[in-house]
Amino acid sequence: MREEIPLSPVPASDAALDPVLRSRPRLVAVGGGKGGVGKTFVVANLAAALARAGHPVVVVDADLDGANLHTALGVASPRATLADYVAQREDDVGKLVSDTAIPNLRLIAGTQGNLGEAQPDPARRERLLEGLARLPARFVLVDLGAGHQPALVDYFLAADDGIVVLTPEPTSVENAYGFLRAAFYRRMHDVLLQPAVRKVIAEAMDQRNERGIRTPFDLQREVQAIDPGAGAAFVAAVARFRPSLIVNEVRTAEEIKLGFAVRSVCRKYFGVDAEYLGYVNHDDAARRSVLARRPLVELTPGSDASIYLERIARKLADPGRLHGQATDVSA
Amino acid sequence: MRPLAEQDHYEVLEVPREASFEDVERAYRVAQAAYAEDSVALYSVFGGEDAQALRDRIELAWSVLSDVERRRAYDAMLSQGGTPPAAAPVALRERFRDGGFEEEARPIAITMEPAKPPPPPARYEKPPLRPLAAPVLEPVDAHEDVSSGELDGAALRRARQRRGLELEQIANVTKISPMYLRYLEDERFEDLPAAVYVRGFVVSYLRCCGIDPATALPSFMARYEAVRAAGRSGRTAGRLPGRV
Repeated sequence: MREEIPLSPVPASDAALDPVLRSRPRLVAVGGGKGGVGKTFVVANLAAALARAGHPVVVVDADLDGANLHTALGVASPRATLADYVAQREDDVGKLVSDTAIPNLRLIAGTQGNLGEAQPDPARRERLLEGLARLPARFVLVDLGAGHQPALVDYFLAADDGIVVLTPEPTSVENAYGFLRAAFYRRMHDVLLQPAVRKVIAEAMDQRNERGIRTPFDLQREVQAIDPGAGAAFVAAVARFRPSLIVNEVRTAEEIKLGFAVRSVCRKYFGVDAEYLGYVNHDDAARRSVLARRPLVELTPGSDASIYLERIARKLADPGRLHGQATDVSA
Repeated sequence: MRPLAEQDHYEVLEVPREASFEDVERAYRVAQAAYAEDSVALYSVFGGEDAQALRDRIELAWSVLSDVERRRAYDAMLSQGGTPPAAAPVALRERFRDGGFEEEARPIAITMEPAKPPPPPARYEKPPLRPLAAPVLEPVDAHEDVSSGELDGAALRRARQRRGLELEQIANVTKISPMYLRYLEDERFEDLPAAVYVRGFVVSYLRCCGIDPATALPSFMARYEAVRAAGRSGRTAGRLPGRV
């Protein structure tokens, strides 16, 4: 029998009365470029922590090639999956949702078993996002898996909270920047519609472009030169692009600082105000929870990593944050 | 958001203009680590020259903002609509020798400062980092674990890690042996000295982490006393190994 664990206190917010919260679920997308950095672990645990705090949550496994969020949540064989939506066997996103063993937490499983096209085409992606926005939940968390394909980046850009998970390793950091670059340029491409401007953006995405555009600031100057109005739109789009960072597998106090460093590099390189949402320390209990196929915050709520994950979940649900205030880690 | 060449010293260190000395110092430490040559966060985005230009700007910003007089003059220049020099990093780097700036580097700074800046020292020396001032750190995030008044060793460790501090840094400031600090975190109360000393250790530790000892100390000492009392009664009853 599972140990009865008291729910974390439900935030004493006026969430039920809040029009922002009442209108539609908050969409949280978790990516990060590299595989194996703990995206699925983070999604499963943030979702479980939010559910345990009393928030209705749906998690969505949009991982292209390695869907296993259902396993992390102890759901053996999901009744319906995103594959049914991709294959057009099911159009109602609400019917893809399966229950989990955790109260308040439900799942749209990934496309495991479908070796064909793993992602819906752009038009169906759009409708999928609309379907997710109609789910009866307060939070919808999407596990994007590895890579920075356009489909994944679209989910990231559509989210209220776009979170990049990285670990204190050069390969992970490099891929995280790769993901952020892809998201940054795609945002600009989506916002700026003039053919001449789009052509420059497409060229800038190649780091060795002949125009000598090396940084987003160079690109901004080029766009400004083509059309001052487009330049202003560029600046406005940069200001709205606010990715969040979670550093996973932290082993020393020094490694915690990676989040500050990446945040600073985002400012200096992209001109983007990233938010350092939090960190999760390396904890043997995490591996035990993966083996047990249960979220750590449910299996071992007192463990160090659980406490850090719950702290991040509290930030995601913070009423101030839902109204646009940052909740950075203090330096 | 502006490119580096157009940023003022505050933007370079990512602090507001009203930042206290401690805020500036903390931001400088973060920037130093972020843009160090071996920084994991840096190499895949900024190439060698760009990274060096960043380091130069960070050092220049710190040299001005950490000096009360120079900062005052710089603020006055900014308030009069002065602009930072676009070419400073490269020109500065050319005069960067032995870890210090040659006095000839000053013309770059002059464009950033009033017409009659205070006479500079003969040679700029990088100001040493102040030792960590114990009670000044901001307490907001550090209080998360202790807001309920409950404090244990693990919460101490988390508070320290959130401040980005290693045990040795706390030991340097408090002059308490890192061994005892570790025992506090591990709650090895039986290996710690008498309560009067432990109380002092915990107060110093908490202050380093920006936590008000008045809130957090009692619950930690209660844990200490309870364990020590259990140990005493155990010994009295002769239950400890070797005493049967």
